[in-house]
Amino acid sequence: MDLIDRYLNAVAAQLPQDERADITAELRDLILSRFEAKEEALGRALTEDEQEAILREIGHPLVVAARYRKGPDSLVGPELFPYWLFGVKAGLMVLAAVFALTLFIRVIGGSDNFGQDIAQAFHGFFGAGLTLIGAATLAAAIFEHQGIRPAFLTRWRVKDLGAFGLADPAAWGMSMTGTEPAQATKPSWMPRRRASTWPGGEYLFSFLATGMFVLWWIGVIHFPGLMSIELRGEDALVRGAPIWSILFGPILLYAFAQMAVDLASLVRPYAVRARAAARIVVAGAGLWLTWVIFEAGHWFTLTRDGETARIAGDWTMLDFDTLRNLGDGARDLVGIASTLSVVMVWVLAISAISLAFRVLADLGRLARGM
Amino acid sequence: MSLDPDLYESMRLELRRGSLVLAVLACLRTERYGYTLRQALAADGLEMEESTLYPLLRRLESQGLLNSEWREEEKRKKRFYVLSPGGVSMLAALADEWRGINASLDKIL
Repeated sequence: MDLIDRYLNAVAAQLPQDERADITAELRDLILSRFEAKEEALGRALTEDEQEAILREIGHPLVVAARYRKGPDSLVGPELFPYWLFGVKAGLMVLAAVFALTLFIRVIGGSDNFGQDIAQAFHGFFGAGLTLIGAATLAAAIFEHQGIRPAFLTRWRVKDLGAFGLADPAAWGMSMTGTEPAQATKPSWMPRRRASTWPGGEYLFSFLATGMFVLWWIGVIHFPGLMSIELRGEDALVRGAPIWSILFGPILLYAFAQMAVDLASLVRPYAVRARAAARIVVAGAGLWLTWVIFEAGHWFTLTRDGETARIAGDWTMLDFDTLRNLGDGARDLVGIASTLSVVMVWVLAISAISLAFRVLADLGRLARGM
Repeated sequence: MSLDPDLYESMRLELRRGSLVLAVLACLRTERYGYTLRQALAADGLEMEESTLYPLLRRLESQGLLNSEWREEEKRKKRFYVLSPGGVSMLAALADEWRGINASLDKIL
């Protein structure tokens, strides 16, 4: 096999099957024409080095073949790149906030190995961050390859742009508190109108947070330290009860449904009635899940040195005396499990009440349309 | 202030990129194959890499602006390209646009 065949084989391997023969035949003619022109100029046959130099001038086989490709020549093209960058920045900020919060909880929980906690937080953040970047790039590559342009990229409106300010962490506080930056240029005598808050910010945050939960739920990302608690300087392992395995699918579906509602709300933040109807259905599913989890009565098991204690409970714990005595119990494994059981019962109860209120509020929105 | 050579090169290439299609279409009013087309462009001062020219020819053909056929010449099969009727109209329209841009730029410059 001579140089030309070897070169053309390398090009051909990158080309679509149906065009391969045609393109390589044309390239062969080009190469031979170049060789002949050079031989004519030199008045002799070319050496192998001279032939190779011409092939190098024509280009590396991967580059030459890539020029014939009909699809996009980048994973994230210039049109999608700003959206990719925003998604990655916002996602990384949410991740940083989650890991900082986890670290904070461990530190105030009396961790005696602060250095290890920080290392775990950094390790977890970088792992989850790389997964996020990979997932965002994969999504963008699919969009690029399939030529998909979601409506919220092409039919945007100026009033929908508020959430993009959230890429600046300084805007988070303002967004959460509803405060505005000082308007030094506005005369004090002019009436101050509160800027209407774009509801999309809430949906974007909910979408990203639920997305993070889904990634954790299916095991793509891990939050180090989440399933262990510090007990007198020793780690106690937290194991989920069978109810979580039974409800794995329904909880995943519930999270996907929540994300779908958030995404639809991002695309059409002012479609109030449709969103309210969807949220009622999702909240109803949430209420059912909360009920099933509550009824299971056993949620986690703590294990340390072969000793186990159940985090479990029922309706009898839903009284204020039990809540008032929270934390008064023993500091051993059983005492901690007992405290956590009360916490879990109240968390489930409050979750059910907030879901019920959400249903009522959305029923109102459905009726009023605003 | 001295000229940044890298920046100049990138802006020069950007400036040339759009005009190359017009030059290729204009050159193919006469039937040619890839190698002689490249030589003709180079003779008029428009050097073009083969890895750019050949895929461009295929793209223009797939857009219906060129016709091509394989024929034997100098004991070798070569692919000859020429403007299609659609290519002739497109060339006329683009040439008008080019002259308009040129006239405007001449006034500005």
